[in-house]
Amino acid sequence: MMRLRIAAYALALLPVIAPAQQGQPGQPGPPGQPGAAAGGISYEKRFPVIESGKWTGKRLPDGQPDVAGDWSNTIANHDNFTDPQGGIPGDPSSVARNRKLGPREERAPSRVSDPADGELPYQPWARAKQQEFAVGFFNAVKPEYIEPLARCAPSGIPKSLYWHGYEIRQYPGYVLFLFGSGWRIIHLDDKPHLAANIKIWNGDSRGHWEGNTLVVDVSNENSKARFARTGDFASENVHIEERYIFSSDNKRYDYVATFTDPTVYTRPVTVTIPARRWTLNDPKNSWHFPVVAANNPGKEVIPDHFERICVENNGGFGQLAVPQKN
Amino acid sequence: MSIGAALAICFLISPANAGAPARAGGDSSAGVGKIPRLGSGRPDFSGIWQTTSAADQGLEPHEARKGAPPSAGIVEGDVIPYTPEALEIKKKNYEARATADPRLKCWTLGTPRGIYYPEPFQVLQRAQDLTLVFEFGDSVRTIHTDGTLHPAETDHEFWLGDSRGHWEGDTLVVDVRDFNDQTWLSRAGDFHDEALHVVERWKLIDANTIDYKATIEDPKVYSRPWNIEVYLYRHREKNFQLIENYCYTQDYDQYYPIPKQQ
Repeated sequence: MMRLRIAAYALALLPVIAPAQQGQPGQPGPPGQPGAAAGGISYEKRFPVIESGKWTGKRLPDGQPDVAGDWSNTIANHDNFTDPQGGIPGDPSSVARNRKLGPREERAPSRVSDPADGELPYQPWARAKQQEFAVGFFNAVKPEYIEPLARCAPSGIPKSLYWHGYEIRQYPGYVLFLFGSGWRIIHLDDKPHLAANIKIWNGDSRGHWEGNTLVVDVSNENSKARFARTGDFASENVHIEERYIFSSDNKRYDYVATFTDPTVYTRPVTVTIPARRWTLNDPKNSWHFPVVAANNPGKEVIPDHFERICVENNGGFGQLAVPQKN
Repeated sequence: MSIGAALAICFLISPANAGAPARAGGDSSAGVGKIPRLGSGRPDFSGIWQTTSAADQGLEPHEARKGAPPSAGIVEGDVIPYTPEALEIKKKNYEARATADPRLKCWTLGTPRGIYYPEPFQVLQRAQDLTLVFEFGDSVRTIHTDGTLHPAETDHEFWLGDSRGHWEGDTLVVDVRDFNDQTWLSRAGDFHDEALHVVERWKLIDANTIDYKATIEDPKVYSRPWNIEVYLYRHREKNFQLIENYCYTQDYDQYYPIPKQQ
């Protein structure tokens, strides 16, 4: 379990950049994941809307807005797509059973921002399939109820953006995302997409900048990753138009994407995911920001990262045959 | 066409060099053309690269065998200096290669195997680092060129090692250490232990060719350090790009059905 060992290092042994740990008593982190030990996911229940417009911040020599660095969503992980802080439906763990959720409006909104009801507009057969997975997740009588992420498959779109933090690196012609499992290259040119019969976990991306907004056209998704442990999904026919809208102070961005899949949904869906940048002043949180200080004795603090190779979930996480007793 | 470009192309198609590296100790600077550089003047390794050699079939010279082409090898002096005990392990690995090669499980290939594995990788370069994005297995390796040191704590945990580079003229010299023992060096069962230490030397010899050298040492496995050299060629096909190849889950694909309307 390399990843777990690395997480332990980040917490205990290596010089971590952040000065203090931000614990959130009463806010459970994702069960079985390092974040729980690191103070949980920094739940944000509300977030500012960032408008598309001019970029007035720093630019790279090639003219791109400089957004390179470590980023993370601010809401929750992939337990639940439409009620991100609502936990995994049917979770038999004692933590989940003892948790008092309270009214829905006290939690962060659905990642589905359109339709207004926050639900994915599934066709009836597709809703049935989603619910079948949601029920099967904690009663995995079929292998297909085990999420691909359990074998560290890339999380796909959009799940990569809320499964741990990630790093953005930029180059002339490219924006590169480095996730805990897998990479994604956004090509900033107009070369044609891959042939339609090639399906890959993180899709095939073509992007360009419009002021403060990185606009990305995604095709070739294999759509095997699912959006969350709730089983939400699109099909391999999905077309995604993404807008990464960055604030010029370089502290946050909003991901606003339209998912069009007439074979699964009754209408296009808008997905919104808020994100914020890691800074030197951030408290330690290895779930959101797996950043450590480089070994640079006597010199400036430089953020560094361990090798990104996922073996974290290859245990039996989530597949409790018998609910644990308190 | 510039003279430099013409020289570069002549060099690329020269039969003496096609598909095989310059042998260690040879004059690999012949045919030098203009090389791309960053604004800082440093050589710019950005691009998508791949060997044409058969190095991954076995680093030492070998005849053709079923399923593998012959190769003149990429080892200086032709022979990997295994200790007698390690040589026995290598022979067992060779016999079991059809099932035991970690690449068959799509495990991260390691260093230097990822460099001469016959699948493309992309170099993305900034002043502070080079990022190597491998098509095979979705692996990513960062070579730090910001003057930082290896982590003070080592635990033999990295598949690709920890890479810290510096410049010696136009040559990027990379010290790689802190490996695990889970990777092989070739399909022929060449292997290493956790004490593996690799020193790479990356040099552009023209705009489209990297002369890649590495010194490999591991006192648990080899009786002395040894050297390899291989050429890497730039992919210049129109619209060429990496295609994600996360093969680790291929055996499970049947269990990840995309829901369909019945």
